[in-house]
Amino acid sequence: MKRWLLATAGLLLAASCTTLNAANDQASEASVEAAEASWKKNLSGTWRVMNRGNYDLEAHPARHAMQLREGPWGPLPAKSVVKLGAVGSVPAGPSMLKGDGKIPYLPEAEAQRDENRANWIDRDPEVKCYLPGVPRATYMDFPFKVIQNDEQTLFVYEYANTVRNIYMEDPGEAPVDSWMGQSYGYWEDDTFVVEVTAQNGQTWFDRSGNFMSALGKVTERYTPIDAHHIRYEATIEDEETFSEPWTIEMTLYRLVGEDAELQEFNCVEFVEEMLYGHLRKEPLQ
Amino acid sequence: MIGKLAKTLMAGAALAATLSFGASAQTWDPDYEPPRMPDGTPSFQGIWTNASLTSLERSAMSKSLTVPDHVATAIENGMEARMAADLEPTDPDAPPPTGGQGAGGYNTFWMDPGTRIMRVNGEARSSIIVEPEDGRLPWSEEGKKTMQETRHVLDNVVTDPEIRASGERCTVGFGSTGGAPMLSVLYNNNYQFVQEPETVAIVVEMNHNTRLIRMNDEHRPANMLGWLGDSVGEWDGDTLVVHTTNFHPGNAYRGATRHRIYITEDADVVERFTRVSDDEIFYEFTVTDPDVYTQPWKGEAVFRSSEGPIYEYACHEANYSLPGILGGARLEEKEAAEAAQKSGASK
Repeated sequence: MKRWLLATAGLLLAASCTTLNAANDQASEASVEAAEASWKKNLSGTWRVMNRGNYDLEAHPARHAMQLREGPWGPLPAKSVVKLGAVGSVPAGPSMLKGDGKIPYLPEAEAQRDENRANWIDRDPEVKCYLPGVPRATYMDFPFKVIQNDEQTLFVYEYANTVRNIYMEDPGEAPVDSWMGQSYGYWEDDTFVVEVTAQNGQTWFDRSGNFMSALGKVTERYTPIDAHHIRYEATIEDEETFSEPWTIEMTLYRLVGEDAELQEFNCVEFVEEMLYGHLRKEPLQ
Repeated sequence: MIGKLAKTLMAGAALAATLSFGASAQTWDPDYEPPRMPDGTPSFQGIWTNASLTSLERSAMSKSLTVPDHVATAIENGMEARMAADLEPTDPDAPPPTGGQGAGGYNTFWMDPGTRIMRVNGEARSSIIVEPEDGRLPWSEEGKKTMQETRHVLDNVVTDPEIRASGERCTVGFGSTGGAPMLSVLYNNNYQFVQEPETVAIVVEMNHNTRLIRMNDEHRPANMLGWLGDSVGEWDGDTLVVHTTNFHPGNAYRGATRHRIYITEDADVVERFTRVSDDEIFYEFTVTDPDVYTQPWKGEAVFRSSEGPIYEYACHEANYSLPGILGGARLEEKEAAEAAQKSGASK
């Protein structure tokens, strides 16, 4: 936080200096460069998206609910979600895919996605408070914090205590698959590239059933574009599921002040009734 | 040599790949100069372990805090032999346990409690607790009663998920592995420290909890309870001092194989981290919780550098235990009811 404030102050100061006194141009340029350096090659800060990618990565109009059924005059909320009303409906969103395309599923995989969507409440790992995988962790409705220095890069997500250590040296092949996979990151010019492998194929991309297999590889690209914004791209490759690689792109916004503090969202206890309620000695009616 | 299969299995169980550590028995250099972050504060960055054969409380067999070196070595050798003997693969043809006996949760392959008696400044220790002097938890009468009631529920009451232990629920790691205070348990005693001027992050391997210690900040309001409490930090010279309170009641009971503590919502835990060598952090803590203890109690432990890496510990996602425990209890009740009906009918 303080570092960001200093950087901003530096920028403002530098900007006013240049307009007020041309003789100071050289010194101002130097301070602008110093201020830039604090964010250009450092992702540290608290970030979140402002988009509807977690509802559906593809372009979608607003719809009744996250799970639908056929009604007499068109789709209606499924029985399991009907009481959520407007809170459970899906806001419209543009495509998160580069080129506004659709996800290039192979036919069988597309059928699987449709089936996932039709059974959303029973199948979405988010409903069960499971670790979200990458890239979904980035664009969930929760902020995440990055601490990055010369030695280490750590991503901590508010959702479900999710955490990712980014290896700064190539660790080689992961010994085992995991929910968040193995992340290896490096700077490529002004972009921090993270190669994510060995995810377990049980996570989804959104609340619309989009998914990949355990063979999928995700390559994330974080490019800070100013002190407050990061251009985020993630390319998904999975020959078992898609006919070709595809890329999503979105903006990450820096949270400042008290908003930048991650809260706790340990949702495990919130899903116990759903998962184990039927096993109580006296199940709730 | 560890085979590829073993490696994979170990990673799958989220056990750290480092099983043995070269503990130094040397005394600490009082003039040790720690590595530093760009802002000049000491760097704790990297992966550490607090695995140790020294338990929180002193056993009745030890009369003093220090353990003679030859005794410490004998304990370590004995443990090594026991671990080696228990490392044999489980016999797949062994019959199931009889007479209501449990099968046991794990054999040695799954455990990683450490291989050495803890040395503080070159001195082998019989307990982590240094105050009270007897190395035992200073339970108050109220505290004993709370603990008895909690134990009774855990041992006998299987009605609802909420009353089961945090380790069964996967809400947070068991035995106070995540703190505060952070204590050595049966396995996954690994931590990653990552720093920036405003935050010291400690990733706790068990249950992937991260302590985000806010530097020079105030505690959040008392209703903002945290499963690992709410932690704020400050620098006292080269020592990181962390104050933690507002603990979630779901993590009040913290049981492990070698210790059981109870930390109430309003408890105040102060931890002090000091780098004393390239591969050791001296860890001191004081627990003040008048609801359950007659006096503040103080512990000393050591975090040793570990090669790592830390693997994912996804507990909740594959929690077959809790539905098994609850479902087993329901089945027992059903069978007991049927048996009672039968015996009633035969009369």
